[in-house]
Amino acid sequence: MDLIQFQNVGKDYDNQTALRDVTLSVGKGEMIFITGPSGSGKTTLLKLVYLAEKPDRGAIYVGDVETETLRESQIPLLRRTIGVVFQDFRLLDNRNVFENIAIALRIRGIAEKEVKTKVFDTLKMVNLRHKADAYPRTLSGGEQQRVVIARAIVADPTVLLADEPTGNLDPGTAEGVMRTFKEINARGTTVLIATHNRELYRNTGRRVFTLDSGSLVGEVLG
Amino acid sequence: MSLPYSVTLALQSLTREKWINLISVLTIASALLIISIAAFVVYNIDAATRSLPERFSMVLYLDDDIQKDRIDGVITALRRNSAVRSLRYIPKEEALRELKSVLKNSTYVFEGLDENPLPDTLELKLRKEAIGPEAVRRLSDEALKIKGVREVDYGEKFLAALHSLRAGTKTVGIALIVILSTGIIFVCYSTVKILFYRRKEEIETFKLLGATRAFIRAPFLIEGGAIGLAGGLISLFGIFAFYYAILLRLSVTMPVFKAVLFPSGPFLLLPGVGIFLGVAGAAIALGRLRY
Ligand SMILES: Nc1ncnc2c1ncn2[C@@H]1O[C@H](COP(=O)(O)OP(=O)(O)OP(=O)(O)O)[C@@H](O)[C@H]1O
Ligand SMILES: [Mg+2]
Repeated sequence: MDLIQFQNVGKDYDNQTALRDVTLSVGKGEMIFITGPSGSGKTTLLKLVYLAEKPDRGAIYVGDVETETLRESQIPLLRRTIGVVFQDFRLLDNRNVFENIAIALRIRGIAEKEVKTKVFDTLKMVNLRHKADAYPRTLSGGEQQRVVIARAIVADPTVLLADEPTGNLDPGTAEGVMRTFKEINARGTTVLIATHNRELYRNTGRRVFTLDSGSLVGEVLG
Repeated sequence: MSLPYSVTLALQSLTREKWINLISVLTIASALLIISIAAFVVYNIDAATRSLPERFSMVLYLDDDIQKDRIDGVITALRRNSAVRSLRYIPKEEALRELKSVLKNSTYVFEGLDENPLPDTLELKLRKEAIGPEAVRRLSDEALKIKGVREVDYGEKFLAALHSLRAGTKTVGIALIVILSTGIIFVCYSTVKILFYRRKEEIETFKLLGATRAFIRAPFLIEGGAIGLAGGLISLFGIFAFYYAILLRLSVTMPVFKAVLFPSGPFLLLPGVGIFLGVAGAAIALGRLRY
């Protein structure tokens, strides 16, 4: 069964086309990669899934719903089923690491006791238990990236969208993050990873979609 | 910690944006204090002048040598008038006696006076509804038309002045209250708008993580209410200080101020009024912002 479906999707920004005629589908529980040069539309594709942008052409289905038909009040509910590793992090500077991760749970109205255990468990998964009280500005790029990953997975999402999740990581740490993603995927979460980094999908046997100037130009197995 | 998270967010914003919040609180407190003092002044002017018209009376001077049956005719005619509450006939002999008792130490005034110079009079008390410059003039005109009535006397200027004083203070008071309340709503509106823009990044992130509109709005409504409440409490303290520290002290040296009434009950509503205006301002701001 397909969890995410793009049917002839096109997206324009002001005076430029970011995606053209993209058709693809991702099955429930699958892990796929999206690759392509800088500016080819990877981030745009992910944004369409979590409704940060709207398509100009075509239709997008997440679960059984066409995203365009969702009412404003239903969008938050859809977003709660999705965890996002933003390419630009979106960490809150005036909150420490613990709070940055906890906010994802608080938005969902989860009780404070559960918030504590879940946040610390997730911090352990990304090896940042010792940085719980640190503020984002005081962390290295790689540490910040792992905080973003922790925030994306802490609420056990149905779908994980990771935009360049290893861009700031050394090969060893990147491998650790990939191991985490595989674990999450093995527990049933559907994972979409946008990356330039061939190492991430080499020999994974997963589907890899290649974008170029907004068009889907290839689908191979990694 | 079992507080809802929206309260935590509101408290964080209140402490983070100390200065903006403090300025709003003080502005609201001053406005509410001015409103309170205005209400206090209107209330006192109203209370001091309310009973005056009841003492108001109209005096009708009757013709000299008027006949007994004509007097009865005048009285019947006036009794029929709906504006008249009560009526007293004062024969000229009684009028003279009254005058003499008032001037008992100066009876020489009446020496060599063999005829009573005073006319018979009728003293009218009016119904409350009929006491107004217009109604009184109408009654006076009607009375003059009755045969046997020579002259009508009433405090025309006084009545008109009193009337416009009461109406004037009420209008000014209400206008002031409306303008300042609108001002308070506007202060809360602007404050919440500023706070909102300062947190725009954070709000955008919350939304992308799946926050509902209610989750985003609640802290601002709470914050607006808290700012209003703080302003209300300070103004409450201010108005009591104004009364106890200033008016009561003044009344020791200036007894006029002893007559001043202090309606403390309604003033206790100030914190509630502050909360209402604060939440209203915040709600208007949130309604107009796009997010
Ligand atoms: N908000 C925006 N407004 C205008 N143009 C945009 C916007 N976001 C992206 N673009 C343009 O759309 C195209 C696709 O951008 P996108 O971010 O999807 O690329 P990407 O594949 O993620 O690139 P990178 O690998 O550098 O992250 C680019 O040419 C970019 O300049
Ligand atoms: Mg990108």
